[in-house]
Amino acid sequence: MPILFYLSKRALQALLVMIVVTLFVSFAIRLTGDPAVMKLSQAANATAEDLARIREAMGLNRPFHVQYLDFIGGLFTGDLGTSFFRGPVAPLIATALPATLLLATTSLLVSLAISIPLGVYAATHRGSLADQAIRVLSLVGLSFPNFWLGIMMVLLFSVTLRWLAPSGFTGPLSLVMPAATIGIILTATNLRIVRTTMLDVLSAQYIMVARAKGLSERKVVYKHALRNSSIALVTYLGLQFGGLMGGIVVVELVFGWPGMGTLAIDAIAQRDYPILQAVISILAITIVGVNLLVDLTYAVLDPRIRLE
Amino acid sequence: MKSFEFIAGILLIAVIGGAVLLSPWLFPGGGTSMDLAARLTPPFTDPAHIIGTDTQGRDLLARVVVGGRVSFVVGIVSALGAVAIGTVVGLYAGYYRGLLDVFLMRFADVQLALPFILLAITVIAIIGPGLDRIIILMIVAQWVQYARLIRGSVLSLREAEYVQAARAYGLPATRIIFGHILPNALGPLIILTTLNVANNILLESSLTFLGLGISPLVPSWGGMLAEGRNYIQTAPWISIFPGIAILLTVLGLNLLGDWLRDRLDPLGQTK
Amino acid sequence: MTLTRTILLAALGAGLLLGGPAQADGTLTVAQRQDPANWDPVDTFLVAWSSAGANIFDGLIRRDENLELQPGLAESWEVLEDGMRLRFALRQGVTFHNGEPFDAEAVKYTFERLLGDIGAAGPQRSNYTSIDSIEIVDDSTVDFVMNTPDPVMLTKLAGYGAMIVPPKYIEEQGQEAFDMHPVGTGPFKVVSYDQGESLVLEANADYFGGAPELDGLVYRFIREDSTRLAELQSGGVDVVHDIAFSAIPTVEASGNASIVSVPGPTVQSLQFKPTGDVATADVRVRQALIMAVDRQALIDAFLAGRGSPIASLQGKLSFGYDAALEPYPYDPEAAMALLAEAGVAPGTPMTIDYRADNSTFAEVAQALTGFFANVGVVAELRPIEDAVFLNEIVPQGRTNEMFQFAWGGWTFDFDNTAYLVYHSGEKWNPYGTSDEMDALLETQRRSADPAERERILKEVARMAHDEAYHMPLYNEDTVYAVSNRVENFVAAPDRRVRYDETRVTE
Repeated sequence: MPILFYLSKRALQALLVMIVVTLFVSFAIRLTGDPAVMKLSQAANATAEDLARIREAMGLNRPFHVQYLDFIGGLFTGDLGTSFFRGPVAPLIATALPATLLLATTSLLVSLAISIPLGVYAATHRGSLADQAIRVLSLVGLSFPNFWLGIMMVLLFSVTLRWLAPSGFTGPLSLVMPAATIGIILTATNLRIVRTTMLDVLSAQYIMVARAKGLSERKVVYKHALRNSSIALVTYLGLQFGGLMGGIVVVELVFGWPGMGTLAIDAIAQRDYPILQAVISILAITIVGVNLLVDLTYAVLDPRIRLE
Repeated sequence: MKSFEFIAGILLIAVIGGAVLLSPWLFPGGGTSMDLAARLTPPFTDPAHIIGTDTQGRDLLARVVVGGRVSFVVGIVSALGAVAIGTVVGLYAGYYRGLLDVFLMRFADVQLALPFILLAITVIAIIGPGLDRIIILMIVAQWVQYARLIRGSVLSLREAEYVQAARAYGLPATRIIFGHILPNALGPLIILTTLNVANNILLESSLTFLGLGISPLVPSWGGMLAEGRNYIQTAPWISIFPGIAILLTVLGLNLLGDWLRDRLDPLGQTK
Repeated sequence: MTLTRTILLAALGAGLLLGGPAQADGTLTVAQRQDPANWDPVDTFLVAWSSAGANIFDGLIRRDENLELQPGLAESWEVLEDGMRLRFALRQGVTFHNGEPFDAEAVKYTFERLLGDIGAAGPQRSNYTSIDSIEIVDDSTVDFVMNTPDPVMLTKLAGYGAMIVPPKYIEEQGQEAFDMHPVGTGPFKVVSYDQGESLVLEANADYFGGAPELDGLVYRFIREDSTRLAELQSGGVDVVHDIAFSAIPTVEASGNASIVSVPGPTVQSLQFKPTGDVATADVRVRQALIMAVDRQALIDAFLAGRGSPIASLQGKLSFGYDAALEPYPYDPEAAMALLAEAGVAPGTPMTIDYRADNSTFAEVAQALTGFFANVGVVAELRPIEDAVFLNEIVPQGRTNEMFQFAWGGWTFDFDNTAYLVYHSGEKWNPYGTSDEMDALLETQRRSADPAERERILKEVARMAHDEAYHMPLYNEDTVYAVSNRVENFVAAPDRRVRYDETRVTE
């Protein structure tokens, strides 16, 4: 049962993380701005009574801890609450979360498909012209803000070439530009990680031994070296998953992608506490979950690592 | 090829950094003088504005050079701040373990679970924008990365023979930590730092894109890029030149970072 | 197609590449920045709501593109008992999209809902509190009993909150169903709504004004300015409702779309802090700052010429507009002289607070600092997040010397803006004006005589001008980018574009 014990321990940690994160965000977002005022911001004749009535309807006259416990309680019964502006939160998350995860996984896969072979090639041909070119090109990918890359792609593929629709979701083709935008930035860093760790691993003793035993170079590189260097890559990906989500926020805006980022940004702007709290807690759970997955992957990649 | 990295990196950073440092003398006006009649002048058409003008008719060359100040400050100060805090905490947490270590790891969990950009939007929305605040936010968000990285290295290094020997020899902990452990954990730290300097320059741009940037009167590469996006089809030069500046800076910093890492990593030399 | 459904399809291995947006013949696609996210008329104030809502719902009265009041669901009306009673003769034989009949009951239900608990949780109710009760005279006649005469009520009955809603549908299907799948009497009925993505409408063949020419009408919500522009250029949308001013030259040069603009309700202005320990407490300083700025140059540079200089916080179309009131001239010399007279030394720092979400104003604000610099005032800019600006900064009187004010009173009646900005206690008037001003504003609100109201509103504007409470910057045109395949597009000043007579070719 050690694995079950381990999993429940991690689940408990995840819960704690989620509570701290939502507590912080829920508290912070209430420091300034008032959703009732936002609702009335264009109403010319609103009076103080109007404001009080709307605050009451929103449940804002209750103390903070009551509002927060109400939210946490709802979370455990599967009730994500109702937005101040746009209806129940659960269906919103139900469309936004898959959209964001789809974008995240596609970009991740695209970037791995590019960065692993290129990174391995660069490492095994260290110092060659190809190595230098790959490294410099990967830096180019690091040098543009993601919104900028996105806009440039729209200009090229939608406005000039007319190949792809600039925004919205009409099918798998809609994924191409947003996923490529995030993918290019991910590729730049992943490639560097792959190359560096491959170099470390390739000079390790057991690789020398494998070579000495007469294993083919191909087998040495792909079976032994890559397997071991992927541990570093997986760690890095786990650590960067939160950052990836952050990058997606901006890219979603550019491509009108109806995901969690768009939802969160609107919620912050309108001080729509129920949506923001739900988005943040679900993102937190997702990120913690991904990191758990990373740790489990370790154990698969390297049997010597024990789950503690 | 080592020397190629070094020469290219140092050249890029020297030229760009030099121009930025000298900008108060190169462009005493700081590119602030406006002329609506001369707005959106294309590059290479007016000798007074070699690479054209922006939406306010300000000289773009002056703006790009002066704009480097904010971008350098944001990128470098935030990265160094985070490195300093993260390294010290990581070293002590890894060496002594204990409560500090537990706190650090849990804090890191929380921080990793909250995407920076959402944290930034929330906090800046509340406290208002400003260069100092953006930098502090970045430090708060990033020191954990360094702390975790260093802690990991320390955990493996503290059992190394030479550290054990130093301890047996009775050297004070501080000396062991800074004199023997830190130098051997520097490689990955440098890579992460150069990556983050670049990242933070771009992050400032994204914040402007989201409407949370600093005053538009203070030029910054990121801000210019974000502002120029509305003119990308009519006046692309507004954003292309700051874009090139970012590209070259990022390139130079990372080339230098790679070179430095290889120099500091004794094994790397023999590979 | 919803995202989840599509993902499911993709996951099932439907490897078909669906390609670009599939446009049925006769379908027009509109892009706008914002998704109102809730289609209940009483729960919104958003222009984004009304631009689609105008095609789904009708009010008793409709305001046309020339801002004339036209019969809507009421065929005619009379003002009785000195404005204390309004009588409406309702159109007969009209049904809602779900088939339920429109009648006097529906009108009564609509307004009781607006003035009751449901309306109380929304922002629209406050516009209609002068209505005391609704009396059904017979099936096709209703009376509005007023508690005070409300000269703007007829116009407001063309407004969002007064859209007639279906009683049975709401009672049977519930509030949430109505929020997400609204039913009205308008020329188009709702097919589907995906929050944050699109609203799909189809023609209502039984529309009382005649069936629309279009088969379908789609609203897509695209937040980023440059993406809406790209959609227009690549044929993904036919009309952009809120094209960025900076994109106007691109559209004009594109060859496949053009710009259509009409004078609109929105005015931009820079309010001065007229009290306290600031230079702008001196009226001469305020006047000088106005004269320091070439407002026409701002319009030419940042609005691509699509705007007009103004002397008060209203455009030409507004009730209360005074053509005789001239804006302060652009005269930097006179400005410097006034500043010197007021004892403001060259190099005096001041700060402009503005809302960070508007890229056009961010450019205008920068140019303002340039003009101020020419007369020796060193202005800083402080961009502030919307919610903070609207909560903590303006209503609390915590602004710096100058702060942005943008308002588009959709009633096109100066009262809407003037009361908000000049009457004590209002959120956009944190520093107060004068008792005289308060009295004037209250008097015109009580008056049922349009001529008297107009005279008073002009006096209000003139007083504000003399006191230089603000620098009216410009009145923005309402700008649309329209693809060449669209015919018979009727630009509405208030963005409530009706598409019942519009066609698309190809």
